[in-house]
Amino acid sequence: MSGILNIGTRALLANQAALQVAGNNIANVNTPGYSRQSVVLQNVAGEFTGSGYYGKGVEITTVQRNHSEFLTRQAALSSSVAASDSKRLEQLRQLEDIFQGGPNGLGAAVGDMLNSFADVASAPTDLTARTVVLTRADETAARFRAAANSLAELKQGVGIELNASVAAVNSLARQIASVNEEIARSKGTGQTPNDLLDQRDQLIREVNQYVQTTSIAADDGTVGLFLANSHPLVLGTAVSQLTLVSDDFSDPSKTKLAIQRAGQTTLLEEATLGGGEMAGLLRFQNTDLVEAGNLLGRMALAIGGSMNEQHQLGLDLNGNAGGNLFNLGSIPAGLAAASNTGTATLTASVQSSPVSGTTSFAASDYEVTFTSGTAGNIVRLSDGQVSAFNLAVTNPAQVDGLDIQIGAGSATAGDRFLLKPFSTASGSIATAFSSPRSLAMASPVAASAGINNTGDGAVVSLAARSNPAPAAVTLTFTGPGTYTRSDTGATPYTYTPGQAIEYDMVPPATNGWSLVVSGNPQTGDTFTVQANAYPTLNAGNAETILGLRDVAMFDGAVLTDGYSGVMAQVGVRVQSADFAANISKSIADNIEADRTAVSGVNLDEEAAKLLQFQQSYQAAAKMLQISQSIFDTLLQGMGR
Amino acid sequence: MRLGTAHTYDAALELLMKRQVEMSGQQEKLTSGKRINRASDDPTGASQAERALTRLSRLETDQRSLALQRNALTVAESTLGESTSLIQRFRELVVSAGNTSYNTRDRETIALQLTGLRDQIFSLANKTDSNGIPLFGGLGSAGEPFVDATAGVAFQGIPGQRASTEISVPGAMDGQAIWMKVPSGNGVFNIAPNPANTGAVWTDMGQVTNPGAVTGDNYAIAFSVAAGVTTYSVTNTTTAITVATGQPFVSGQAITFDGLSMVVNGTPQNADAVQISPSTTMDMFAVLDDAISGIRNATTGSSASQAVAQALTQIDSGMDRLQAAQGQAGEWLNRADTITDAQAQQTVQLEADRSRAEDLDMVKGISDFQKTQTGYQAALQSYAQVQKLSLFNFIN
Repeated sequence: MSGILNIGTRALLANQAALQVAGNNIANVNTPGYSRQSVVLQNVAGEFTGSGYYGKGVEITTVQRNHSEFLTRQAALSSSVAASDSKRLEQLRQLEDIFQGGPNGLGAAVGDMLNSFADVASAPTDLTARTVVLTRADETAARFRAAANSLAELKQGVGIELNASVAAVNSLARQIASVNEEIARSKGTGQTPNDLLDQRDQLIREVNQYVQTTSIAADDGTVGLFLANSHPLVLGTAVSQLTLVSDDFSDPSKTKLAIQRAGQTTLLEEATLGGGEMAGLLRFQNTDLVEAGNLLGRMALAIGGSMNEQHQLGLDLNGNAGGNLFNLGSIPAGLAAASNTGTATLTASVQSSPVSGTTSFAASDYEVTFTSGTAGNIVRLSDGQVSAFNLAVTNPAQVDGLDIQIGAGSATAGDRFLLKPFSTASGSIATAFSSPRSLAMASPVAASAGINNTGDGAVVSLAARSNPAPAAVTLTFTGPGTYTRSDTGATPYTYTPGQAIEYDMVPPATNGWSLVVSGNPQTGDTFTVQANAYPTLNAGNAETILGLRDVAMFDGAVLTDGYSGVMAQVGVRVQSADFAANISKSIADNIEADRTAVSGVNLDEEAAKLLQFQQSYQAAAKMLQISQSIFDTLLQGMGR
Repeated sequence: MRLGTAHTYDAALELLMKRQVEMSGQQEKLTSGKRINRASDDPTGASQAERALTRLSRLETDQRSLALQRNALTVAESTLGESTSLIQRFRELVVSAGNTSYNTRDRETIALQLTGLRDQIFSLANKTDSNGIPLFGGLGSAGEPFVDATAGVAFQGIPGQRASTEISVPGAMDGQAIWMKVPSGNGVFNIAPNPANTGAVWTDMGQVTNPGAVTGDNYAIAFSVAAGVTTYSVTNTTTAITVATGQPFVSGQAITFDGLSMVVNGTPQNADAVQISPSTTMDMFAVLDDAISGIRNATTGSSASQAVAQALTQIDSGMDRLQAAQGQAGEWLNRADTITDAQAQQTVQLEADRSRAEDLDMVKGISDFQKTQTGYQAALQSYAQVQKLSLFNFIN
């Protein structure tokens, strides 16, 4: 009798508890990090009698948390990688907007500027055409500066976001440590603290959004969280502080993550960080943004530099030699590593001899390492190309169109410098003057054909290579394919039709002038190259500047095609980041689906369970009713 | 397999968002008409389109420059034509001045008209194009390349001719070669009666009969009259060798030596002479000035006719040079036309390149858009349908 009552009561309580758990599941259906719970029922051991074992009902063993350690970890990991990729993509898309193509892009501005010289070539004295050239040049410089500004703003935005992320990670780490403590404390109860575990898993997921962690469970129920594979962020209840530091060279364009533990600061290398938004941001800032800045800076320095050089080879409307067309600012000095023991400073400038370096720039930073006081290696950081230098033999050292030398002090072996030659050019480029009369469009040299020439030789082009022009030189053709020069007497030189005759006979020709004659000069025909007597109506230098459009300048691409290369390079970066983000996102989504398949609440399931346990509850209640009616029957029988 | 309800909602919502983004991308392509709206859509195509655009704007510049050069050449060509017809009128007047019945005053009148024509021709030589660049400045010159000084006209410029290239024709012609290089005499030698002659002697311009025998030396033909018989001797004054001596002189008969032949007319007096010198070059204006002064200063019909004969030959060779230059200008104008045609073709080509690289195939674009739209609609509908299903609907 009491058996049936007891069984009924137990069943009633168990099913009520099951209903409560189902209700809790329904209530938490949208709670992030909540793991579905279920009651574990067990039958109470039966009572032995002579006629066998009689069951004593049901009891609840525990409330079980449905979750898979493996899937939870994988989901956190994959979402961390996805966060990194999508963060980088988000930033790259903003970067891409700076490098727009089409008729409003920087490339078109450069092209228009160069093309505008054609109008000056047609009308050398037309001040309107000259003003147009200056306006276009100003516009181009402004575009460069605007692009550099936008890059700086992006960098600033990344910096703010990184700082906020570091603060968030540090706060999350502290919360994890305190949850760890609570979990350890409840270890003695014998039951798993389901909600605390959910809370911790959720906190770990949140940390992983910022930076990828590895978690290792300890025996006391706490979890250790490690960054970059081995650096502890949380160990039990102890928390290390995450900070942002600059790199070894105090490079202003880069930041690194570091972890402070027991008074020690450890640098976390970017490559070991794995996923997380911060990894994406750091990669964007330290790689993509630096590369874009270098590409832009190289364009500014190469185009501005080569146009300055050519402009200096001309004469302005007042007959004076041209100055700089653009102010470019000087190449910043090398950044010394903190570990340097020498006193040397490292300076770099655009190579000027034997030929100008403006056409051989590589868009990269360089790391210079001294192996002795004067010698060492220069590493081009974009592709790791190493070139040795020895300042005792060749000073300055020449790499990729740059002159590199010790500015002051002396270096010792092991000293390292970071050289960022293109970091400031595009931000500082500006036109150097605003008077259209100062545009040096006339050539300082002029070629004249002998008045008694019998051949049909005509002047195709004459470009000055130095300003002012050297003393007059008369070329006299002495037969097909040979000529003599008035400054070298009777020495015959070979003439190849269509090829330039250089004032400097020995390459690289950097002096005097370069003359191209067409047609067939006859024996006795002369051409004299001398100082230009009529510079006012001459636009020889404008024509040579137009020729700059076809100068191979950016890794072999001509000047006017330089921008399309930059655009494509940034575009490819965005495209591949997009692929990466798509893939990592779909992986993360799949694993998350798998995880929620185990841990997530399904409302239909819970509804079914509600019905199931409700019915069981009703049945148990019925049992009590029956037990009561049996008792009543018994009592009634007794009463008679 | 079970599904977490919250996750199915999230996932479905995310998919809807994705479809929406896709659709807005398709719409952007349709409205801009471009397949590539940012470089990452197709980096290669974007840079191709960018390069084509650069080439196009450069071609536009080339075309503008060529148009200016063509304008200048057209003006130069017509200026040369105008000059030729003015010189033609000058020549006609010179011919009329040779009329032996004219007296000094008549010749003076003609000389005045000739001076007017000469000044007109001179101003044509200094003509400039619409940008103020002299048409005949050669390789560079002062604002006015020809200066009329007392010593004669000087060319203030750099002699020589710019060559035409694949994209340009010269915008200025070589003034030195056109205006300043008229060969004197008949182009090989000059004949001039000695100014101290006392008899009436005049000659034609002479001709070359045997080019192989021409020496290019100076000669003198000296006449001597003895006993009513006129003889002549020829001396090479450069080498001081006597070429012929004691030849009988007949007026109107050719005198021939060393490959040269000339006709001497008149009745030379004893010790009269005719000088022969190799041809030099002189400028067109000196030719005209010589003709004017020859006609103005001629005292007799015969000396006028010598001046006229010489002037006509030189004017003709000067005119030849102008006409040759005019032909050359015409040739360059033809070349400019060819270049223009090629550029027009190239423009079409580049435009096609650019379009191929970045423009949207509208048919494909619209079809893609509709496909995406249908997909989105289906997604929305199925979402709404599926969300209606819940077991709770059936529990009362």
